[in-house]
Amino acid sequence: MSSHYEAPIRKPLVVGNKSYHDVTVDVAKPVEGRANKQWWIVFSIAFAAFLYGLGCMIYTVSTGIGTWGLNKTIGWAWDITNFVWWVGIGHAGTLISAVLLLFRQKWRMAINRSAEAMTIFSVMQAGLFPIIHMGRPWLGYWVLPIPNQFGSLWVNFNSPLLWDVFAISTYLSVSLVFWWTGLLPDFAMLRDRAVTPFTKRVYSTLSFGWSGRAKDWQRFEEVSLVLAGLATPLVLSVHTIVSFDFATSVIPGWHTTILPPYFVAGAIFSGFAMVQTLLIIMRKVSQLEDYITLQHIELMNLIIMITGSIVGTAYITELFIAWYSGVEYEQYAFLNRATGPYWWAYLCMMSFNVVSPQVMWFKKIRTSIAASFVISIIVNIGMWFERFVIIVSSLHRDYLPSSWTMFQPTFVDAGIYIGTIGFFFVLFLLYSRSFPVIAQAEVKTILKSSGDNYKRERELNDHNHSDNH
Amino acid sequence: MKSLYKIVAVVGLSIVATSCFNKNKPNYQFFPNMYEAVPYETYSEHEVFKGGKEGLLPVEGTIKRGFVPYEIPNTPEGYTLAKETLKSPLDSLALDTEKGKALFNIYCAICHGEKGDGKGTLVKREKFLGVPNYKDREITEGSIYHVITYGLNAMGSHANQLSQEERWQVADYVLKLKSEL
Repeated sequence: MSSHYEAPIRKPLVVGNKSYHDVTVDVAKPVEGRANKQWWIVFSIAFAAFLYGLGCMIYTVSTGIGTWGLNKTIGWAWDITNFVWWVGIGHAGTLISAVLLLFRQKWRMAINRSAEAMTIFSVMQAGLFPIIHMGRPWLGYWVLPIPNQFGSLWVNFNSPLLWDVFAISTYLSVSLVFWWTGLLPDFAMLRDRAVTPFTKRVYSTLSFGWSGRAKDWQRFEEVSLVLAGLATPLVLSVHTIVSFDFATSVIPGWHTTILPPYFVAGAIFSGFAMVQTLLIIMRKVSQLEDYITLQHIELMNLIIMITGSIVGTAYITELFIAWYSGVEYEQYAFLNRATGPYWWAYLCMMSFNVVSPQVMWFKKIRTSIAASFVISIIVNIGMWFERFVIIVSSLHRDYLPSSWTMFQPTFVDAGIYIGTIGFFFVLFLLYSRSFPVIAQAEVKTILKSSGDNYKRERELNDHNHSDNH
Repeated sequence: MKSLYKIVAVVGLSIVATSCFNKNKPNYQFFPNMYEAVPYETYSEHEVFKGGKEGLLPVEGTIKRGFVPYEIPNTPEGYTLAKETLKSPLDSLALDTEKGKALFNIYCAICHGEKGDGKGTLVKREKFLGVPNYKDREITEGSIYHVITYGLNAMGSHANQLSQEERWQVADYVLKLKSEL
């Protein structure tokens, strides 16, 4: 003990006098117990929303995109708005598990599992939109460069929409592998605790025969680090590529070089907000307050504040450049955002994204769970509006005034969006009842350095032998 | 052994997947979105047309742009009239022996023979007989044109195969062949 130096300024990450066994029991409890009535109620609501959205998707695909509110001027609206929104939300998971791992942030350990699950489930929602917004989704496989009988007709690698295909599919697969690798020791724990033959069998299959030998752990750590190193550029490039959908165009309001980092910052911003929303509920429902502590919430709030400020800076930069450029179209695009028919969306975006995270400067607010919860939801609404404003307000008034128009979503637009939210929660609710929602193997590695009981003990020892260091 | 099973499975699946194709029928199609024509295509059959066929006849007496009707009637008198008075509208610049030869060899030589001696392939094989040698007949460019247009005795009209200009090219080439016999 005395050989370990940890700054006394650091607050404990695990509270409640936990031992290794306590961690196991706490993490396994939601999985081993039975779902309560509330879970079933929430699940039913989410499932109903999912079914409704599925119906809307089938209706769209079988009837045509004309069931949406798109028109000839505005060919992208809610579909791509929701796509970018979901992809953005997904980014926090990878950021938490990869970037925070590279920065050796121990506080990530209590939240990375759920954040990664959130990534995977939200990227799945995002992945729906590029398919269902196609006019002929059954020919969607043509986006893949597969040798074929059309004289080996190929795809054009110059389109960011094709890059999206590669980005999203790579992102989903790498995230899935990263997540699953991390799950192996935890599934093994559930396997070893399983009491019924069925759960035993399920978790034996899921854990791939993990036995936790030294060599396994050594390689596990290496793989995690390599994957974190790979996932970090991936997380930055994926949303960059998504931003290229707009930034590489010639549309005033879209054609901006600031879009890649600005979108990534926005993605982290909205992603962390979503993690915050989910974890604030989860720590209560799954009784994990000892692991997802107020400190975790505060740190996430700080990241929300920082990325929110980056996003705010980007907004102001855009405005400045529009003025500075001397390009009338660019200037009008931003004038139109602020004072045009979609001024309310711009106002929502500005106030929710720029103003709301700034309240995190007050310790009282950022350490308040209720305030964090509210702000996290506001941020996600604001970030939805950001994508909506960028897409629709740039399209509905651009070069030719004769092409100016408005966008009016239909119930199908809304239904599909609601459906993806439902689907997301269906997956997340199922996950929270069948997966170890906290990476217990990782938490156990910080228990003795960051557990409150061990910290107290160390403090006592330090007082006794204050000449030790 | 395990890989053998896999190979067998893959081969079996491929056989199952391809065995549904019947050579006597058009193959299966994957989402034939724009395979069938929405407009009426030439030679297609549709119930909306009289007789069910797309190729409707034009109203009699109408003249399309770029077309001059052939006024001499299909009668013995018409034949004589054409023989005596009808002249080729093609001048020496427009006449193209190569083209006339090519058309003759496609449409005429099967009976008349490439030399115009009445010894075409069908005659040689005795599919039918009685094709005269050009040498033995008194023909002018007018009469040749008239006969190509209407046909004569066993010969049918070639007006639907050869345009007016092409008929004059052939008539010119026939006269050339006659002079060489």
